[in-house]
Amino acid sequence: MMRYVIGRLGGVVVILLAVCLFTYLIFFKLSPDPAVMICGKTCTPERIDSIRDVLGLNQPILTQFWEFLQGIFVGREYGTVHCPAPCLGYSFQTNESVWAMITARLPVSVTVAVGAAVLWLLAGVIGGLISAIKQGTWWDRTAMALALGGVSVPNYVLALVLQYVLVVKLQVLPFPSAPAFADNPVLWFEAYIMPWTVLAVGYACLYARLTRSNVIDTLSENYFRTARAKGLSRPLILRRHALRPALTPITTIFGMDFAGLLGGALITETVFGLNGIGKMAADSIAKNDQPVIMAVTLLAAFFVVIGNVVVDLVYIALDPRVRVTQ
Amino acid sequence: MLVGLVLSGTLALSACSGNATGAADSSAGPGGKAAQGGTLQVLANAGFSHLDPARGFDGGVNNVYRLIYRTLTTQGAAPGAEGTKIVPDLATDTGQQSDGGKTWTFTLKDGLFFETGAPITSADVKWGVSRAWDPELGIGSPYAKQIIDAPATYQGPYKSGDLSTIQTPDAKTIVFHLKKPYADFGSVVAQNTFVPVPKGQGAGNQLDSKPIASGPYKLAEYKPGASLKLVRNDKWDKKTDSVRAANPDGFQWTFGLDPATIDERMIAGQGTDSDAIAGTVQAASIARIQTPQLKQRTMSGLSGCTTYMGLNTTKKPLNNLKVRQAIEYAVNKQTVRDAVGGSTLADIATSIQPPTVAGREDYDPYPSADHKGDIEKARALLTEAGYGGGFTLTLDSRTQPKMQAMSVAIQQALEPLKITVKINPIDTSTYYEVIGTPSQQKDAAITGWCPDWPSGATFLPPLFDGRLITPKGNSNLAQLNDPGVNAKIDEIAKLTDVNAANKAYGDLDKQIMALAPVVPLLYEKGLMLVGSNIAGAYLHDGFSGGIDLVSVGLADAGK
Amino acid sequence: MTATIGGTSTALVEEVGTPAPAGGPPTSTRRILTTITRDKGALACVLFLAIVVLMAVAAPLITKLSGWGPYQFDSAAINSDLGGVPHGALGGISGKHWFGVEPQNGRDIFARIVYGARVSITISLSATLLTGVLGVVLGMLAGFYRGWVDQVISRLMDFLMAFPALIFMIAILSSLPAGNRPVLLVVVISAFGWPYLARVIRGQTMTLANREFVEAARASGAKDVQVVFREILPNLRGSIIVMTTLAIPGYIGTEAGLSFLGVGVSPPTASWGQMISSSVSWYSVDPMFFAIPGAFLFLTVLSLTVLGDKIRSVVDQGAAA
Repeated sequence: MMRYVIGRLGGVVVILLAVCLFTYLIFFKLSPDPAVMICGKTCTPERIDSIRDVLGLNQPILTQFWEFLQGIFVGREYGTVHCPAPCLGYSFQTNESVWAMITARLPVSVTVAVGAAVLWLLAGVIGGLISAIKQGTWWDRTAMALALGGVSVPNYVLALVLQYVLVVKLQVLPFPSAPAFADNPVLWFEAYIMPWTVLAVGYACLYARLTRSNVIDTLSENYFRTARAKGLSRPLILRRHALRPALTPITTIFGMDFAGLLGGALITETVFGLNGIGKMAADSIAKNDQPVIMAVTLLAAFFVVIGNVVVDLVYIALDPRVRVTQ
Repeated sequence: MLVGLVLSGTLALSACSGNATGAADSSAGPGGKAAQGGTLQVLANAGFSHLDPARGFDGGVNNVYRLIYRTLTTQGAAPGAEGTKIVPDLATDTGQQSDGGKTWTFTLKDGLFFETGAPITSADVKWGVSRAWDPELGIGSPYAKQIIDAPATYQGPYKSGDLSTIQTPDAKTIVFHLKKPYADFGSVVAQNTFVPVPKGQGAGNQLDSKPIASGPYKLAEYKPGASLKLVRNDKWDKKTDSVRAANPDGFQWTFGLDPATIDERMIAGQGTDSDAIAGTVQAASIARIQTPQLKQRTMSGLSGCTTYMGLNTTKKPLNNLKVRQAIEYAVNKQTVRDAVGGSTLADIATSIQPPTVAGREDYDPYPSADHKGDIEKARALLTEAGYGGGFTLTLDSRTQPKMQAMSVAIQQALEPLKITVKINPIDTSTYYEVIGTPSQQKDAAITGWCPDWPSGATFLPPLFDGRLITPKGNSNLAQLNDPGVNAKIDEIAKLTDVNAANKAYGDLDKQIMALAPVVPLLYEKGLMLVGSNIAGAYLHDGFSGGIDLVSVGLADAGK
Repeated sequence: MTATIGGTSTALVEEVGTPAPAGGPPTSTRRILTTITRDKGALACVLFLAIVVLMAVAAPLITKLSGWGPYQFDSAAINSDLGGVPHGALGGISGKHWFGVEPQNGRDIFARIVYGARVSITISLSATLLTGVLGVVLGMLAGFYRGWVDQVISRLMDFLMAFPALIFMIAILSSLPAGNRPVLLVVVISAFGWPYLARVIRGQTMTLANREFVEAARASGAKDVQVVFREILPNLRGSIIVMTTLAIPGYIGTEAGLSFLGVGVSPPTASWGQMISSSVSWYSVDPMFFAIPGAFLFLTVLSLTVLGDKIRSVVDQGAAA
């Protein structure tokens, strides 16, 4: 077991390094000269040269990459400025420390992800469960039809429609802002409820269908019939025998979905004006702010890869069949 | 006023995007008397580029700097021409010249203090000005460096120490030695570079994150890209300042808001939004602000800039005058105007200089019915030039919706002539860099120009003097190098009568347009909605950023 | 990682991993077709999709009939003094402009919807094709040969799936010059899309490779290539059909999302996502500009998803038999 975990963690490191290197190379090749961008409109050739010097842009690409890696673990120097670990550079736009920008905005993205996750798990799993139990009834058919619809709406369309209806027309909710919970819990809730809903809808519908089909499959398996024959009551059977194997694949997918969201729900945050990692990514791409783009990509990849590992470990813990084959 | 102002090509292109000012027609509503107190809210999309006055130089920050900084002189605080008049600020007058105008002496007023309580002395003013030569810090207003004498190797106070050409005989007197006589130096010292910085401070990014205030307000809190809060600077003495009303107790900026959301909030005016001001509304919101109540708190006026399409005369077939003139006739300026939002957000441009520049004449060198373009005339000219079969034109365009819409409009207008316009999208962050580099420029580019002063002297020479074409940072996009034009520019520079000079620039406008190096497209206007509790608001001609912040306040500060 | 751009999570694709590959004869296409034609819901979907495909294919002809091209400006149809809002109610719907006009330039929305269909269908089908080929081939190779081939391909898949696809796509697309945008979009979308299909195919190939009929084929002297293409591939047919059908709406959503963010097709090319993006600031005064492309996008994705779902249930039943 330990060997497995260590092996997986080793794989994580390799993949993250690969992502890092690939991203670095791609942006190196594709982006316009960063020195030019920092310099701005009133530029002189001497200033460009001094910026290139400070950023180390005249060195070979792999040396630059190595310094970048070093920066993450032990910090690095930018000319006379010392950038403490974890150093992800300074924004070309605002000169802020990228790490500081991330830590400032991560709570918003996490709030969005967690809130949406709670909503979609509850709605999706419970909805799917009920549909499975009442398979074939009016409830089941309607719910599944709605689920298909929910999966088909692009989330930005839904976001815009919700915002128009609830904020502009009915004036039930105020305009988006993102206050801290401590300052104003009511406003906090009002600000986040729409992004949570928008994100949750797509996933909830998906999970409802998934749960439903998994539970139906499990309920028709042989061991379930045996349990019934033994005289166990339905709720007991559901809880002990049907739910667990049905939920295992959901756990896997949930881990991946949630990890993906932690890296920032780009479109949702942009549409609702929430100052999270996703919006930072969108803004920095629009302005070609390389250090920020690199950092956000790495962060998102980090969450996904770690999520992958966690999910696999949880899967092993939950499903005894898998444990045996390991 | 601005004799001898032919500077060497590096007048910065100020941000010229419909974020207005304008004298023409401010409505009465928000103009009433402002009360003392309260917090004024500002809703914004983009943040501030820099808080360090040596670095910042665009309409957005120039306006804000007046709240936290003072300069030797400054512009007035009123709509129209009153507002662009230069009046003393830290100095007792607009400067005493000697030595034929090569030496200028200013005396500081009494009772001037920084927010720290330290007195503002001439040494601090000198320290602030010297920073303009620092290659990393002095990236803002270029006038100080260009006009004040200095050793060629001087790199600012942090690297090269003291600058001997600026003298401070005592704590209240400062003397500038210029390269050449400069009659209007009193206006130059209103630039951001003449903000005092306590001697020895302001290195690196210090002032960008924590400005040291000399004005009525100081920084309370700053989250770049998110918010900015200003509170009263109790060391500022109103008796020493005749320009700033400084009515509110504080200002609160919120950045990063979606422009459509800003419009929604200003229209709804809920809560603290009634104490708010913002920038120009989106085209989509215009139809929604036509009710009498909303019209009452709407302000509009020309921004004082010209949006135009430069035609690169070094590229075939644009080197042919008739081809360029054909394009002038063919462009349907109505559709271009619609692309930015129609008649309320822009007027159609026919001359290079906008109506706000003194001496400008209203004429149309390439007329067509309703400015919709005259395709027949264009076709005739093209055929005469031998390009009846059309050609391909690459148009550099910023990747921004308004710019792209304008590019598409031009693309459509030139299509009947069989001119295939290929739009070359360039990122906003590098756009000016690319079109300002002759070796990277394509056939045409859409851009704008806002004069640093509303005078032809800051408009025509930088854009059309052939001797000012530089390999980098070039403003003469057409790369026009016509001996007749160059000679005329020199001639006008020698005139001593300001009115004669302005009239001459008006004539020069016609002379240049006959050569068709650019297609003037629009004079953009600002249309702003202010909160219902706003008073003392007017649009200032000097800040293509809108409402004069030093005068605006709340009507009822008790709310 | 699930790229939830168009709201269709690619976990949808993973969901299909659960049905086991057919042990007996593969599900016949005839069965799929009969089931669909009998189901009213599925028929409605097919009808709508047929309309969309017709629009895409016959775009130039259709716009000749409707009278307006997709790039033509009609300044008379908009009110220049009010910011460019279309004249008339419902965003300018009239006999001249069947779906109304776009604000600020007066372009015919019907023509742009028709050409937008072209963009959506072309790009999503091309991406599906490319993803399908890559995913099936690489998945089968990995599952069949195992060993280092599997290792290399699996690491590549892990690597690609770890990337935050949306961020990367936007960053790549925004830094590259305009060039051949549609081709670029297809390549970028496929580059991040194939691992999901490949993973499933790999798993199923591994299971199938151990079955008796494969052993039998091997024993009778068939070469590897023949085994792969004659024995294994037919048994994957069900999964492949389902997954590709479900991938199409995902890619339509992705292209629309990228165009919405401004990095998809370049103006003045019409795309439903780009139209939605432009309509955002206008939805209070001209909601039709938002509703029409929004509805088309939604209904197209919905039809494809429902259809894919039906096909999947047929395949599942075939497998269970």
